[in-house]
Amino acid sequence: MADIRSKIEQLYSLEQLSAQNSCVHRLHPLAKICITILYIICVLSFGRYAFCEILPYAFYPLLLIFLAKVPIGMIFKRVIIALPFCLFAGVSNAFLDTAPVMQFGEFFFTFGMLSLFTIILRTLLCVSAVLILVAVTPFNELTDELRRMHLPNIFITLLEMTYRYIGVLAEEAATMFIGYRLRSRTGNGLEMKHMGSFIGQLLLRSFDRAERVYQAMKCRGYALRNFSHAKKNLDKHDWCFILLTGGIFLLLRWTATPYVVGRFF
Amino acid sequence: MHMADALLSPSVAIVMYATSMSAIGYAIHKIKEDELTEKKLPIMAVTGALVFAAQMINFTIPGTGSSGHIVGGILLAALIGGYPALLAIASVLIIQCLFFADGGLLALGCNIFNMGVLPCLVAYPLVFKPLRQNGKHLALATILATVVGLQLGAFSVVLETFVSGITELPFATFALLMQPIHLAIGIVEGIVTVAILRFVYQMRPEILISAGQRAALASGVSLKKVIVALTLITILVSGGLSIYASKNPDGLEWAIAKTTGSTELEAQGEAFSVSAALQKSLAVFPDYEIINANEKSIFQSISLPGIIGSVLACTLVGAAGILLAKIKKWKRTVTNE
Repeated sequence: MADIRSKIEQLYSLEQLSAQNSCVHRLHPLAKICITILYIICVLSFGRYAFCEILPYAFYPLLLIFLAKVPIGMIFKRVIIALPFCLFAGVSNAFLDTAPVMQFGEFFFTFGMLSLFTIILRTLLCVSAVLILVAVTPFNELTDELRRMHLPNIFITLLEMTYRYIGVLAEEAATMFIGYRLRSRTGNGLEMKHMGSFIGQLLLRSFDRAERVYQAMKCRGYALRNFSHAKKNLDKHDWCFILLTGGIFLLLRWTATPYVVGRFF
Repeated sequence: MHMADALLSPSVAIVMYATSMSAIGYAIHKIKEDELTEKKLPIMAVTGALVFAAQMINFTIPGTGSSGHIVGGILLAALIGGYPALLAIASVLIIQCLFFADGGLLALGCNIFNMGVLPCLVAYPLVFKPLRQNGKHLALATILATVVGLQLGAFSVVLETFVSGITELPFATFALLMQPIHLAIGIVEGIVTVAILRFVYQMRPEILISAGQRAALASGVSLKKVIVALTLITILVSGGLSIYASKNPDGLEWAIAKTTGSTELEAQGEAFSVSAALQKSLAVFPDYEIINANEKSIFQSISLPGIIGSVLACTLVGAAGILLAKIKKWKRTVTNE
């Protein structure tokens, strides 16, 4: 179950981060969602050799990681997981596309290599943008915002419940496993003969828990209604963030900034 | 079968978003007719979590060097009905995309369509339900519906890739690779699904029957045992089979690797050159073209007119929907008066 548990830890470590307090965390979720989507569209809209054009976009994740104090290792680890296939694609490109771009002595820098670096950069930026969005915005704020966008309440509720149930199943298993290890003679993993009762117990517990969660919701007056929390409007900080970052994205998209800057030298 | 953003042009992504959103909207509309929606929500969420666990495990398909994972569309549809199943799958895909970088954010519309809409709203009502009409042929119906759902999904991946203008991948070759692989995956997934459904059927046959008729569950039916069974299967699948989880690329990646020699794709082709030409004429900074190197336009893949067109199309479709709803409401108030 190690694989599943590490995945669950991945899921909730991001959530813990999102509960912190920083100027990025305090921004309106809507502003963050819009800017992330704009960012991804901008980055993906470049061609396969646009390494230099895409590179300036790295400012956004780096700035957010710095401002929101997101551990860069955590984001990087996840990006690495998404990277192997892109690397594979890029490497074969490097072999197939051998038209030279530049020459350094004996060494030719080819278009294939350029596209390899572009693919890596693009994956890095897009994946980290989404992960940072989740790391600086609590999941319930995200879903609240989706609700405010008039996405169907029932669907958003289902999304929230699925997200919680994954945790309910895994947390129960983890607690039981620790309890089992503390009481077992060997102190190692689960013994085969206990597997049946262990799993049987686990499912009874997790189902009971899931039902209690739902009943608790009902007891607190939950009824599939459109309830909205106190509506928070975009304030001047949010507008500053949207206009500034969005403006920079568009500027970088429609002007060849690196080349324009390069011409001054 | 999760598509990455690199497979898609932004315009195709937006069109597929519109399609999937409409399908989800329709499903929600249908579900709301059912008065017991609220009681069904926990079981939808638990089954969603089940698929979530099951999708983490890739199984190897013997002899191909390829592996696949359960899509789970037919399983969910058979347990809770087609429309709730679509919602459950969509929510799982969203969580996977946000937290695990599994499938891109822009490709989400495509992924929901390929893995949710096609099995739940096409294969389930057209294949599974007719075969199960008199409560027989569970195995046949399940395997056939799973295979059909996956074949449609795989073909739709090929089509979306092709329409995106990524013609580096020859359409016929890509299709010929994708379809057989997903046939194999479909059969294996079908067998697994039959095993799970048989188990549920033995414990609580009412669930399968009522889902088949899309009737509300009688409030007397205890969902507890069924949920217990599903949780058991989740744990068994996630815990027990993890050992066999495959490290090979999954079916889609394998097929792409076979056709292009790589598992990911580059945007290049006729559609892109057309859009580049269009863009050249519309460009705000025509100066940009100076930065062409070796006749290869750096400014190749944007299809802004495409995006604007799609946004316009979405707006129109949305406006039409709202208009229809308004007319319906108005008619209702008129008849009431």
